[in-house]
Amino acid sequence: MAQTEAPDDQALRERFERDVLPLLSNLYGAALRMTRNPSDAEDLVQETYLRAYRGFGGFKEGTNLKAWLYRILTNQFINTYRKKQRQPQTVDGPDDIDEWYLYDKLGGRNVETSAENEVLDQMPDEDVKKALESLPENFRMPVLLADVEGFSYKEIAEIMDTPIGTVMSRLHRGRKALEKALWDTARQRGLVDD
Amino acid sequence: MTDGKPKCVETLREIEALVDGELDTTVRVRIESHLVDCPPCMDHAEFRRHLKVMVSSKCAQHDVPPELRAKILRLLHDDQPAG
Repeated sequence: MAQTEAPDDQALRERFERDVLPLLSNLYGAALRMTRNPSDAEDLVQETYLRAYRGFGGFKEGTNLKAWLYRILTNQFINTYRKKQRQPQTVDGPDDIDEWYLYDKLGGRNVETSAENEVLDQMPDEDVKKALESLPENFRMPVLLADVEGFSYKEIAEIMDTPIGTVMSRLHRGRKALEKALWDTARQRGLVDD
Repeated sequence: MTDGKPKCVETLREIEALVDGELDTTVRVRIESHLVDCPPCMDHAEFRRHLKVMVSSKCAQHDVPPELRAKILRLLHDDQPAG
């Protein structure tokens, strides 16, 4: 891919700037959640744009541009940063967490239904981001792509180059791990009683 | 199940896919008809939906460094075909 020549056609460049640049904020946000640090996120986004630009001539207009870009972003992250970060690919936990973990924790407290949602709403943005970033990568990626970026299971399967069944299973387990992380955060913040 | 409506166990199992908008129409209609008649299941579904929206909105906010856009534009203009 690196050998592919950049588009030298003026129209192609204009189309790239028109269609791809507006996605910068999304891509940077996703890169932040992936790398968990602003400096790596900036590098990752720049590399992604360069690769996307060089490959843009091969992108079929009318197909899913956002998914195409996230696939480049994801591959670039895996090839470059995952090695660097040496993060364990799995941790204990996601399988031991009950279904409806957070619902039961919040709901079993004799509060009205709306109060469950209030606890969630009161959580600072930074805490929720940290909770998401605390998930092991295999689980964090599908949750990020589904819940933050709004991709379908099928799109996530394409972006991650993973069978759709694996996506669904990791998404499910990732969400349970996220619920536990959110509960721990809520407790630390004093939003719920111990 | 004789009336074609799913029970709570089946409904709760499908709520994640329902909230993700990933259920086939036939299944979705059956699950939704159960939710209308079953406040506890509806409560679970609403919680799941709220959680998803909360995660999405709280993780979507971030400031793009102002110089990043400029760097990318420069990168594109400098990246001429080899030769």
